[in-house]
Amino acid sequence: MSGWEIFQIWLMAFLTLAIFSFLYRDNPLFKFVEHMYAGLSTGYYLGLYYDTVIKQRLWMPLSEQGEWWLIVPGLLGFLMFARLSTRYSWLARLGLAFVMGTTSGVYLLSELHGNVLGQMVGTMSPQRVQGMVNWWLTAIVVVGLITTLIYFYFSKEHRGVLGGTARVGIWFIMVSFGAHFGYTVMGRVSLLIGRVYFLWNDWIGTMR
Amino acid sequence: MNLWQQLDKLDRRWVFLLVWIAAVIPLIVPATFKISISPEGKSLFEAVDRLPDSSTVILTFDIWPNALAETEPMERAALHHLFRKNMYVITVANIPLGGPSVAERVTRELAAQYGKTYGVDYVNLGYKPGYVSVLRGMGTSIEGIFPTDNSGTPLSELPLMQRVKNYEQVDFIFVVADNATVDYWVSIVNAQFRKPVGAGVTAVMAPKQFAYVGSGQLVGLLGGMKGAAEYEKLVGKSGLATTGMGMQSLVHFLLIALIVVGNVGYIVTRQVARTRERKVKA
Repeated sequence: MSGWEIFQIWLMAFLTLAIFSFLYRDNPLFKFVEHMYAGLSTGYYLGLYYDTVIKQRLWMPLSEQGEWWLIVPGLLGFLMFARLSTRYSWLARLGLAFVMGTTSGVYLLSELHGNVLGQMVGTMSPQRVQGMVNWWLTAIVVVGLITTLIYFYFSKEHRGVLGGTARVGIWFIMVSFGAHFGYTVMGRVSLLIGRVYFLWNDWIGTMR
Repeated sequence: MNLWQQLDKLDRRWVFLLVWIAAVIPLIVPATFKISISPEGKSLFEAVDRLPDSSTVILTFDIWPNALAETEPMERAALHHLFRKNMYVITVANIPLGGPSVAERVTRELAAQYGKTYGVDYVNLGYKPGYVSVLRGMGTSIEGIFPTDNSGTPLSELPLMQRVKNYEQVDFIFVVADNATVDYWVSIVNAQFRKPVGAGVTAVMAPKQFAYVGSGQLVGLLGGMKGAAEYEKLVGKSGLATTGMGMQSLVHFLLIALIVVGNVGYIVTRQVARTRERKVKA
């Protein structure tokens, strides 16, 4: 391992420990590293966006391939900076309106195709486990779906049959929250494991 | 003050310290845990395994650096599988920070192990902002979205990309993501271009993605470090995820114990308080 690699590992270990120091209490070291991360990320983003968007998608096609129509989106993008001026900030709305319109169009289609229709078909079809229809699972999905939807039906007071069904819905929602919580804990522990593994293997490894 | 009251007032930093110790112990005393394979993990592996050798696969690096412990083992296991089957691999990142550099590092390292040539067997497209328009645009022309690869070489100079123009020439999309891009691979590429998509996601995201597996929109799913360990086992290449499962299990045991102790303490102290209240009233 070269001296440069060892230096990098020590720097990474220092930054990791500085971030973990917040667990003891908020301190200047943590704040310094936090600000450094924000600054570095912003700098990296600026360079990346300049290179991949301004240069590759606007300037090069415009200047080298004569795609003059790109002046229009370029100008709309440039107008976004009008927000920095109190007098001309309204000009930013032109570019923003275009972004809003195209985004809505694209999202509408993808949400409809991918989520609404796909999930409706998936929910209404019999549930399968390893290719075989599982009627128990199908019944659970049907009961869970209906009772959960009833829980979110607020046009009538939740009393009587409606109240009882909504209560079953709450149980399904709680089980779902439990699964989400369990997975979230696993995710956070995994992040800790990643850093502990790095400190133990790579950082302490340089001292062995 | 009884034991439960003392525990109730315990500084949470002791809990942090205990979790740290639980995470470190398996590194000092390595312990192996049995890794069971979930049906979702198995079906993803089988979907990739069923692809004919020399198929073309897009492998995504839609990952931030903070979730590398979960996502990098998935990427590595996927690449072992793909390169072993002599697949043509196109890597792409829809996340600016982390994804492109990890893709470069991991693909080059594993490609060297399998004797793969850059440009012929695999290509790293790198990153372009605006993942919704990127995913849609690649359906028409990959070169239109990525004029060059990650290192600035025009795609027209890369033999693999001379053949692969859009999703038509791609057989499978293997998404590894720690964010919402996986939803768009499903809702745009699977729903609108009819390409099979399988995913490896972080544990936080997994519960939502199971709905896509249930509806058949994802062919399979790897959830968090456990999912990565499953794929490592299926591929036969143990890595960080397999090692991490020992640490994961021990920390989970500790957390379960703490939750039990916390709840017992809560019930006991509440009971004591009620009894005291009753005595005062009497």
